[in-house]
Amino acid sequence: MAFISVDNVTIDFPIYGAAHHSLRHTLLARTGGLIRREGMRHKRVVVRALDNISFKLQDGDRLGLIGHNGAGKSTLLKALAGVYWPDSGSIRIEGRVSPLFTSAPGLDADDSGFENIKTCGMFLGMSAEEIEYKAPEIAAFSELGEYLELPVRTYSTGMVTRLCFAIATAIDPDILLLDEGLAAGDARFAARAESRMQKFIQRTRILVLASHSDALIRSMCNRAVLMDTGQILAFGSIDEILDRYHRQNAEQAAVLA
Amino acid sequence: MKPHYEVAWNDIVSGLLQWQVWTRLGWQEVKRRYRRTVLGPFWATFSIGMFIGGMSFIWAPLFKTDVSSYLPFLSAGLVTWAFATALITEGCVTYTAGSGIITQLNFPYTVLNFMVVWRNIIVFFHNVLIVVIVILVLRVRISWETLLLIPGILIVAVNGAWMTLLFGMLGTRFRDIPPLIGNLIQILVFITPIFWLPNQLGEGHKVVTMNYMYHLIEVMRAPMLGTAPAKLSYAVTIMGAMLGWLLAFEVYARFRRRIPYWL
Repeated sequence: MAFISVDNVTIDFPIYGAAHHSLRHTLLARTGGLIRREGMRHKRVVVRALDNISFKLQDGDRLGLIGHNGAGKSTLLKALAGVYWPDSGSIRIEGRVSPLFTSAPGLDADDSGFENIKTCGMFLGMSAEEIEYKAPEIAAFSELGEYLELPVRTYSTGMVTRLCFAIATAIDPDILLLDEGLAAGDARFAARAESRMQKFIQRTRILVLASHSDALIRSMCNRAVLMDTGQILAFGSIDEILDRYHRQNAEQAAVLA
Repeated sequence: MKPHYEVAWNDIVSGLLQWQVWTRLGWQEVKRRYRRTVLGPFWATFSIGMFIGGMSFIWAPLFKTDVSSYLPFLSAGLVTWAFATALITEGCVTYTAGSGIITQLNFPYTVLNFMVVWRNIIVFFHNVLIVVIVILVLRVRISWETLLLIPGILIVAVNGAWMTLLFGMLGTRFRDIPPLIGNLIQILVFITPIFWLPNQLGEGHKVVTMNYMYHLIEVMRAPMLGTAPAKLSYAVTIMGAMLGWLLAFEVYARFRRRIPYWL
């Protein structure tokens, strides 16, 4: 039984080395969290990335995070991954969490694919024996063949994604956190990735996915939240939330036009 | 910031227990230096060796000491200095270098600290080749005291570990710290008896006895020269290791959770 309980979570990012003149532009920006200045003579710049977020997830929940760039989707994912400790509020999680964000954690471009399977696997909590056992499967799924002997820096972007994807999906987490970038390689691989992804997701108890792709959200999730400037605007069914998101976009476009 | 001692303690313990991860990361890093070069990490050894070779001919007559006693002293000292100071300078960038992992995963960050220490132990065993050659060529007397090098390395490593923890946090939060420390170390090398003999300042001179780096160097250098380090050096470095760890632990308990925000 896995669950996630997020209670009034607020996360502020202190911005170091933000010069005053460049800040004027940021303050006028329309996306992102609320930017505040604190402390003596307002020298400390703080961005409120998550603002009083609360929700609960349990076994079988597949949550899609929807919202503009800077709405707080990635920060929320990282908070769930335990990367960021909230300034206030609390996050309670039961179950083994596995994050798959920009790349496999610990990936080093100078090392070969095989070496990275081992390093990243270890970081994700696999034992040496477990990696030994799963390496052939990971290698086969990545379809990288002899490229696995070469340094990762020689890979194309798609090949790197395939490797990361193969590594991250080889473990058996209770809770999976995904941040976009799942368009792995060419179409044939994408199809295989999709089927492996579906299988993988069925094995995990809870999924949280941040994406701009309606199709991806629809195919993987069973509920969604709409986020904006670090807040949750709405929580509901996929159709409801996507609908509201697109309506909101259309309204904004109309205002700008 | 409120301290979270349990979090810090668990981080350190599970970091230690994950020795398979940090020994592997340390080796990988050294292996990377080998790639596409003939000498690999031995290039650093080679450069220290050339430096020692050149210096001994100038400094020995300058100090009116005999090359055959000066050369072993200089090489053992410099190799140890390289080890101890690399722990400090590389320690400053422990977390910035690991930002890719820290911002993606919740894991014991001390794995990165132990990796830095381990990697530098490996590099030390490359550089120690110089001392071995010097000892063999000049037939420096080796004794049972030479075995004290093992506890010596341990003491420096344990000291280095708290330094990577403390300076790692400072260097991540305040980006002036790494270059500042780098500069300080360049000055320290002249204040510490590496190029000159400690007794040249007179017995028990404050510049020597009050210098923490001197004692840190001594616990490794003296055994390499076949003698036992002074009790004072052991006392200072062991006390320093304990106090340093206490301080680093306190700071880590307070600010460990802030590290990802600083990156």
